Amino acid sequence: MLSFKPLTIIALITSLLISCTREINVDYGVNDVAIYETKAQKHKAKNEAEYIAILYTNLTQEAISPNLLYQTQNVMYSIGDQNVAKEMLLSNYFNSQNLKIPSDVEMRLNVEQFVIATYKRFLLRLPSEAEKQWFIRYIENNSNVTVEMVYTAFAASDEYGFY
Amino acid sequence: MRSNMKRKEFIKKSAITLGGALVGPYILPSGRLFARTGAEKAAHVVMVMFAGGVRQQESVLGRYLEDSQGVSGAAGNIMPNLFTGNAPTKKVVYGLDIPGEPKGTDPIPRIVSSPLASQGLVFNEVTAQSAGHYVGLNTLITGSRGIAQGLKVRPKSPTVFEYLRKHRGFAATDCWFLGNGIGNSTPLLNSSDNLDYGLDYGANMFIPPVTFGSFGRTVLSNAKPYSNLELEPMYNMKSFLDQSFALEKSLQTTIKNTDEERTRVKAFIRNTYTKQSLGQIAYPPSGSGGDAVNVAYAGEILKEFKPRMLALNLSQVDGCHSNFTGYLRSLHRADHIVGWLWEFIQSIPEMKDNTIMIVAPECGRNLNPNPILDENDWLAFDHSDRNAMRVWSVMVGKNVPQLSVGDEDNPVGRLTDIVPTIADIFGVYEEVMGSGYIDPLAMSQFLRV
Repeated sequence: MLSFKPLTIIALITSLLISCTREINVDYGVNDVAIYETKAQKHKAKNEAEYIAILYTNLTQEAISPNLLYQTQNVMYSIGDQNVAKEMLLSNYFNSQNLKIPSDVEMRLNVEQFVIATYKRFLLRLPSEAEKQWFIRYIENNSNVTVEMVYTAFAASDEYGFY
Repeated sequence: MRSNMKRKEFIKKSAITLGGALVGPYILPSGRLFARTGAEKAAHVVMVMFAGGVRQQESVLGRYLEDSQGVSGAAGNIMPNLFTGNAPTKKVVYGLDIPGEPKGTDPIPRIVSSPLASQGLVFNEVTAQSAGHYVGLNTLITGSRGIAQGLKVRPKSPTVFEYLRKHRGFAATDCWFLGNGIGNSTPLLNSSDNLDYGLDYGANMFIPPVTFGSFGRTVLSNAKPYSNLELEPMYNMKSFLDQSFALEKSLQTTIKNTDEERTRVKAFIRNTYTKQSLGQIAYPPSGSGGDAVNVAYAGEILKEFKPRMLALNLSQVDGCHSNFTGYLRSLHRADHIVGWLWEFIQSIPEMKDNTIMIVAPECGRNLNPNPILDENDWLAFDHSDRNAMRVWSVMVGKNVPQLSVGDEDNPVGRLTDIVPTIADIFGVYEEVMGSGYIDPLAMSQFLRV
């Protein structure tokens, strides 16, 4: 008569042999691709908190404090025309010292690169050729256009309010 | 021959130009030619949504403590700016505090020369369509019954602002809504999300205790004043981006001003912060809290924009859920600030003698109290029963008849009458009534009399 212990060991080995399968490594050879949004897919509106937190982080490269977020959210909610609220908020930010944005000289050194970077920074996508050319021409033909103006236009745009 | 041709061409072009000049101004935002159905009764309307649930008994009926706390001989009118009648002489607690005397023994003197009800049209017993605040406010601002109206969503039916902007061609800065707080979905009342009207026709809005309170100062008061030279490129670039994105109407989240209007509204906000710091904002002398702040900034809006339509809400009276004495004090002060507002309107040359003000509660309050006692051992009142569907309205100003309509036993009119009345004032009654969104039992108060 077999003892209990060898039977247990046999059962364990058998179950291991049955349950184990060989792992197959598959390599499809896919290249790394940077993925950007398209404007056609943006149909969810950012709420006030999302808009403010994303904008603040975008411009200062720091997270907004919960207290300031709460206050800003309430103020945004208290103004009927959100474009008025956004433009006021932006001009308030641009009047502060802790912004991390390119200088006007940097913008004018390579306008094309600036336009592409601005589309990626705010709209999380690449500009279409027509969009890129329009902005390059507009900035080059208007010497008074500053980074602040371009950033205000992007941050107050309808598209920036959606994701 | 040649000169003949020239003359013919000249006459043809002149006729086209003249036709265009005559018709052009009357093409509405809706794309339709302007078709007014009646003459305008006044150039401006101010509507006060008063003031957070008001019992008939302590307001238009002037019964003070008699019908609420069973104190006999304590009847009297505590709203001297709106209604006629002598003040109570017994247990006066609603007035100003005099040092060394019991609280509230000194009633605030009347501001207007005679009670507004005696100067205009008062409906003494009006049927409200809801016993709740938000649906009640919706009723006042949309003229619909508010059936299936949810909280935290915009009105289902078009607001009076949308009717006026679409059918009367008013600009966004001609229409204003001022709320006294951001709670209770109040900031959603400046426009509906109705696809026939909606945000394209919505009103400008501020919640003054927030926009111009400490939060607003922290967040916005450091905003740069941009010159037109700086604004133009910003607006051009934004316009290009917006055209490229082509936002669908159903996804729109905000009302829109023109670039010029937006610049003006931003300048107004900045100037208001400056006036605040210089102590130049006019306040009702004995008002306090969010309601008084709301009315004070309504005054600033009236001065700057001379809006064709301005609506504001007051709500401090709602403290009646737990404090009846506080309710009496708030009611007395709400009356005071409405009197102040009417006098303020008369101080603006463009609006004096050319404005109609309409005051009406969004709902009433219960007949029977809840068990909560206040400092005077008086019982508080909620709003959920049939008595809470009893309200009144007062209208005063240009072309308003001096009449008192209906009484406790003879209700006349509905709260949904207010929007048709405003449509009637601006001469677009048929268009608004024909929109399909107005309560079928509603009609202009001018026609009810």
